[in-house]
Amino acid sequence: MKRNSLWRDTLSILVLAGVAAVASNALAGPERKLHWVGNFQEIAGPPKPPPPTPTEGAAVTPAPALGGRDFPPHPSKAWVEVSGDDVAALHARGDILFIDARRTSVYRTGHIAGSRSMAIWESDVDDKVKALFAEGRDQSAPVVVYCSGGECEDSHMLSEKLYKVGFDNVLVYKDGFPDWEKRGLAVTKGDTP
Amino acid sequence: MSGRLSSPWLTSRVQFVLAAVFVVAGFGKIADPPGFAHEIYNYKLLPGFAINAIAILLPWVEVVSGLALFLGLARRSAARLLGVLLLVFVVAISVNLVRGRPVDCGCFGTSKVAKTDAERLRDMKWVILRDVGLLLLVGQVLGAVRREERV
Repeated sequence: MKRNSLWRDTLSILVLAGVAAVASNALAGPERKLHWVGNFQEIAGPPKPPPPTPTEGAAVTPAPALGGRDFPPHPSKAWVEVSGDDVAALHARGDILFIDARRTSVYRTGHIAGSRSMAIWESDVDDKVKALFAEGRDQSAPVVVYCSGGECEDSHMLSEKLYKVGFDNVLVYKDGFPDWEKRGLAVTKGDTP
Repeated sequence: MSGRLSSPWLTSRVQFVLAAVFVVAGFGKIADPPGFAHEIYNYKLLPGFAINAIAILLPWVEVVSGLALFLGLARRSAARLLGVLLLVFVVAISVNLVRGRPVDCGCFGTSKVAKTDAERLRDMKWVILRDVGLLLLVGQVLGAVRREERV
């Protein structure tokens, strides 16, 4: 009898929690909502790709050289990591797409000037990736993705998504936004790039 | 369990402490489910597809169990559920400590403070100690409820 009531009570708590969770997630805004089934990929260990070489992906139209350094497409890899110097040179060029993979709330507090927000942990990230694809951009042109540097894997996870829709020249800014700030480069606050 | 350790006076206070801890911890996570999902991901213990569902459900289990303890309803079930959660937390943090992989515990929601790896590893040891302490409190409630049922 007691055993029955124990299981009944446990089930009641779990059902109540489940109903509250479903309702809470259904009512949440885009920054708080989650898809019930995660659709991101685990990044297998610290990525250690070699730096891009001029010969890599030679069959595809290479991007223009920047300060003596080429960033050709790399169709066999979702991303390659690049240094702060490379990212600064790409940013100075003015026509390179920058994407911020951190949370929207963090993006608002400061991001690389001109960068778009695509928070990998928020439920609308796939819509944003699809919208980017629908813009019909040159998918072999460099795209710089960044997050918070260090152990942060958000930029790698977003790169995987971009790679899946055909972007084959995604460059991950390894040291991320903290490095950008340290260099004193252009930062914008708020919702707009 | 001795009479003093299972006295109603002590038990009601222990229930209140457990309820307060878990309701606060649960709402901290409910405030930012994507942040909590990110913290779970960082533990590297669960397959990607399961992370979001756990990030949505687990905080509500904490809140409902905490409220049940606070109201004195279904105390045995609520305490057992919180005990299971605490055991899971202790194992998850211990595994990462053994791996030498520093993680923010995410216990009360997303951490807003930037910490060094050494600080994270130190904090993980304190979190294990705290959770073991909370497990003892869960044990007290379970022991007291069992004793009440016998009387």
